[in-house]
Amino acid sequence: MKRWFFNPYVQLGFDAVLVTTAELLLKKGALGGFKLPKNIAWMGVGALASGWTWIGILAYLLSFACWLYVLRHIPVSIAFGLINIAQVLVPLGAWMFLGERIFPMRWVGIASVLIGTVLVARTIMKREVA
Amino acid sequence: MTVVALGLALLSQLFLVCGQLLLKRGVGFTPIRIRIVAGGIALLSVWFFLWLGLLADWDLSRLFPFEGLNPVLVLLGARFFLKERVPLLGWIGIGLISVGVSLVSST
Repeated sequence: MKRWFFNPYVQLGFDAVLVTTAELLLKKGALGGFKLPKNIAWMGVGALASGWTWIGILAYLLSFACWLYVLRHIPVSIAFGLINIAQVLVPLGAWMFLGERIFPMRWVGIASVLIGTVLVARTIMKREVA
Repeated sequence: MTVVALGLALLSQLFLVCGQLLLKRGVGFTPIRIRIVAGGIALLSVWFFLWLGLLADWDLSRLFPFEGLNPVLVLLGARFFLKERVPLLGWIGIGLISVGVSLVSST
């Protein structure tokens, strides 16, 4: 296996893509699953009737393996700050693949998350240089 | 969103944050402390099923932003419980992430 593969920041990137994929699949599964009576629907187990949910869970498990590796090598506050790039990827994915709308205010929020993520990333680059 | 859904969304995030802090604590040791990691996984499991239930009722792009509270909560938790040091620029960045997220969820 190539050395870049074990770079914790590369793994963090894999994690972001896997988490986004998992979230979109879970939503697809939750929409297509077994509808529980309204008073117990919050438990959400009805979604387990959909195959999409299980692929989503698989993607989550993979992302979890990446995440444990990341946590071992990067402070959790930094890693968690960076993984929030998923906050941008998920609405964009929901827009592209699930047909959900993104209102102007949300675009502003997405931009703010992006800027914040870049700032957090810069603190790391400074640390690595120093 | 209803008050109950809002409360559940917030509660699920609390489980997630505490789970993450336990995970980091567990894998921070050499060798890894499996019991602490397992405790983190248990909390994350509670979060996961709460989350699935919320997903059934609400748009993903409206729900997911609640996770945006987490960076600040994780940052505070890591600062006080794990003694992690983050430079000022990191605090500003994580603050911007949370502001962005609250903008996204307010629409």
